[in-house]
Amino acid sequence: MKKTGPVEIVKPKDLGEAIAFVRKGGMPLAGGTDAFVRIRKGFWDPPFLVYIGELPELREVEIREGGAEVGAAVTHAELLRSEVPRRLPIFRLVLEKLGAPAIREMGTIGGNVANASPAGDTLIPLYLLEARVNLVGPDGERSLAIEEFVLGPGKTALREGELIVSFWIPFPEGDPVPYFHKVGRRRALYIAVLSLGALLWLEGDVIREMRLALGAVAPTVVRPREVEAKLRGRRLSHEDLEPLCAELSAATSSITDIRGPDWYRREAAGRLLLGLLRLREA
Amino acid sequence: MEELKVAEETRVVGQAVPRLDAEAKVKGEARYADDLAFPGMLYGKAIRSPVPHARIKRLDLSKVAAHPGVACVVSPADIPGENVVPVIYRDMPLLAAEVVRYVGEPVALLAAETREAAYRAAELAEVEYEELPAVFDPLEAVKSDAPQVAVPEAAETGNVFNHMVIRKGDVARGFAEADEIVEGEYRVGYQEHVYIEPQGVIAVPEAGGMAIYGTLQCPFYVQNAVAAVLGLPLSKVRVVQTATGGGFGGKEDVPSQLAAMAAVLAWKSRRPVKVVYDREEDIATTSKRHPAVIRYRTGAKRDGRLVAVEVEFYYNAGAYQTLSSAVLWRGLIHAAGPYRIPNVKVDGYSVATNTVPCGAFRGFGSPQVIFAHESQMDELAVRLGMDPLELRERNALRVGDRTATDQLLEESVGLMDAIERARELSGWERLRREAEEFNRREPFRRRGIGVSTVMYGVGMGAKAPLLDKAGAYVKVEADGSVTVAVGNTEMGQGALTVLAQIAAEALGVRVEDVQLAPVDTSRVPDSGPTVASRTTTVAGAAVLDAARKIRARIEAAAREVLGADAVEIADSKVWPAGGDSGRAVPLSEVTRWMWVHNWDMGATGWAQGAPVDWDPETGLGKAYFVYAYACHIAEVEVDLLTGEAKVRRFWAVHDSGKIVNPALARGQVAGGVAQGIGYTLMEYLPSLEGRIEGTLMTYRIPTAPDMPEELVIDFVEAPYSDGPYGAKGIGEVPLMASHAAVANAISHAVGARLTEYPALPERVFALARNKTHPR
Repeated sequence: MKKTGPVEIVKPKDLGEAIAFVRKGGMPLAGGTDAFVRIRKGFWDPPFLVYIGELPELREVEIREGGAEVGAAVTHAELLRSEVPRRLPIFRLVLEKLGAPAIREMGTIGGNVANASPAGDTLIPLYLLEARVNLVGPDGERSLAIEEFVLGPGKTALREGELIVSFWIPFPEGDPVPYFHKVGRRRALYIAVLSLGALLWLEGDVIREMRLALGAVAPTVVRPREVEAKLRGRRLSHEDLEPLCAELSAATSSITDIRGPDWYRREAAGRLLLGLLRLREA
Repeated sequence: MEELKVAEETRVVGQAVPRLDAEAKVKGEARYADDLAFPGMLYGKAIRSPVPHARIKRLDLSKVAAHPGVACVVSPADIPGENVVPVIYRDMPLLAAEVVRYVGEPVALLAAETREAAYRAAELAEVEYEELPAVFDPLEAVKSDAPQVAVPEAAETGNVFNHMVIRKGDVARGFAEADEIVEGEYRVGYQEHVYIEPQGVIAVPEAGGMAIYGTLQCPFYVQNAVAAVLGLPLSKVRVVQTATGGGFGGKEDVPSQLAAMAAVLAWKSRRPVKVVYDREEDIATTSKRHPAVIRYRTGAKRDGRLVAVEVEFYYNAGAYQTLSSAVLWRGLIHAAGPYRIPNVKVDGYSVATNTVPCGAFRGFGSPQVIFAHESQMDELAVRLGMDPLELRERNALRVGDRTATDQLLEESVGLMDAIERARELSGWERLRREAEEFNRREPFRRRGIGVSTVMYGVGMGAKAPLLDKAGAYVKVEADGSVTVAVGNTEMGQGALTVLAQIAAEALGVRVEDVQLAPVDTSRVPDSGPTVASRTTTVAGAAVLDAARKIRARIEAAAREVLGADAVEIADSKVWPAGGDSGRAVPLSEVTRWMWVHNWDMGATGWAQGAPVDWDPETGLGKAYFVYAYACHIAEVEVDLLTGEAKVRRFWAVHDSGKIVNPALARGQVAGGVAQGIGYTLMEYLPSLEGRIEGTLMTYRIPTAPDMPEELVIDFVEAPYSDGPYGAKGIGEVPLMASHAAVANAISHAVGARLTEYPALPERVFALARNKTHPR
């Protein structure tokens, strides 16, 4: 196993300096929950690290008209304690299942998104809520839809010298019911084998509107929009959902890895649609 | 049912005394192997084989030696003594000289000024391997055309290291008489110990010999190994145990290998050398629980009486013998379970493959066969339409019964009491009924209730009775405090607290007045290995023996001091017998008087396990001097949509004789339940062509939320007349019982038999969709 030597970490005095460092080849460091593990194992050898975890622009959580703006360096625990889960309860369901308390205290939402893992937990609510990623770089600011930002495992649309500053998370209309099931081999401190998140707008037991996001079953988180469309107008019943399980499975393109086999991810993803029936109990 | 005898009244034994080592550990003051440093210390590292089976054509360490910071390199020729890691056999070299037999086998060593330099330099070795055909599966390795892995002198035939048997009665007749016969094949993979502290030792040259400091269970094994590789007499090798962060069997034989590496490097460099593994190296290259294939057949009468059992099982031993013959033997003796069976035929094989040597792990070869026998009992219950707990009650061993090896159980069999208590505590009938109601109501969730009953032979047993001994030295100081020295080790299980309680009880002092001496082989008696749940029973008896000798002297002195014909001693106070204990004098007055009058203040104690006698030809005889028993019940919920399983509630009842410290015993049980849940549900370490790559990211052990929300622990105490205050062993038993209860609960929940560990979500998902029988 390769062990690399010490890595230099610089701490910029403001956002401008951070961008300048990143432009020179520095890699951003926030909570370090992934970065340090990778460096230590020799999987990653960045020229130097730029510590952005305390830049004020990246640290704020702000509830505004129509949505929440969440700084990239806000930790999962801070987000969980903020106003956001009260307005967007899907975040509570997801963040309570993310890692374990120590990881949540250190890891940040920006880091989780920049990692672009198909199993990244925070991506599920960001996809469901159609969040936007606010970037700043040498050429100024820009904003991308989350689905345009994440391109594949570990791949994002970040340009050279660009940093994620914050996420704009629009409040959905009405009061959708959240659902989240993260499948794993144990009950804390695990990476999803697969996951399904959903927002349902219900009228009685009829689905008026529906969004679904599948994690860890494809190169990126997946919004199976055809299945969503077909669910509209259906009842939250076994008879109405069951026929769509196979279609949800078909929306995946799973691989086999250390966490689980492809056939299982595909089949269980479809079956998880029936998990929505549990919402009737609540 | 056996009448539970009340042991003599005790004051300290039986109390939930806080562990004596708790404060230092909580404050971070306990010093573990990697906390220690010595002037001029180097960091040692092994250069390991990347291939599973090969002839070494060339070994060139010149680039390693030339790397900045490297102070010393060692090839097989540099070993001053014998190139061996002696365990039971002597087939495993310290460094492979001609042939490597598993991925990760050490071929050379180096020591450098820094850990980083050692890691980098290790990659510079130039080793030319001529690859040989390799075999990884024990069922393949026993075939006649399989590549030869085992060193021939260490194997019975081909790659079969050992084949052991039990032949009791006539199984053909037994099965002919059976009304129902069930049959199954069960498979388990590796289980990794995940002791919280990885392996680590430091070798320090001293006075013409070598001192070893390290995290270890068996200091006398290490002493023997280091003396062998250095060619030194045992008296020139001193082994000091450092605070040890868990063992579970993983630090039984493996520290001998690390210590021998460090010692050879220290001998050549004449400097202290530390060898500490990181987690990846530890998981990839050290011992684990044996993967196994178990074929099992059970026959019973319609009323549930077992009439015959036939078992054939294969343990994947890995490339060298290490402890496999002993592990196999315990598996053999435990293969038929805690049941009365007239006809038993067992064939156990430990098989060499090109994989890392497996070794000791809590249960020591018994959990694998327990998975099989407890699954069979439940299959049988389904077939007979009988309640699984009742089926166990009908067959459970009682005093006066004979075991599978035809051993007559003369005393201390608390199994029926354990079953009854577990039935009562769990509300068994209601529990089963509620699960059925839940399952009728719920479309996608299933609850299952599983039970397991086990027996455990305490101590080394008839395979290695020479090791079932213990020495102790007890010294009362002039001020009435007490020092106890034994060669057994504290590894987190609470041994030193339990031994202190036994000494305090026997001497009549407060437990806080007793101090256990640090384990240093030059200063403590040889107490045999700290394994086999034997420390309380055997070392405890040695401490008791020594303490009683001192007690007699203290009483003699007290009679003089108090001018009394007889005295009583308790709580470090002395008073005339029958007199007012309120007018007692402190014990220190008596001990001071002894010291002033030049009395001998110390005594040695000795204990050995009661005689055992077992015939390897028939597999019959007295295998162990006494057995512990347990009955566990688990309630599991399975999510049919995903196959995820969660243990909701758990009841664990044990007979380990007198419980010396209920708090520590409960801790042992809770930990064993956790480890059993891990074994059944999640602990998965695949080996790809003999290559094991595991980290704590991928090898998952249970976390707090994986524990049952309700865990009820209780003890029925069937005292053992030769154990100190009636105590038997407990350490391994909870793990042995818990996993099978969880497995049976899963099978009950989904209505199909789980036949392979771990029950990962995908396996349970598949199982639930391909039911084998109605629930």
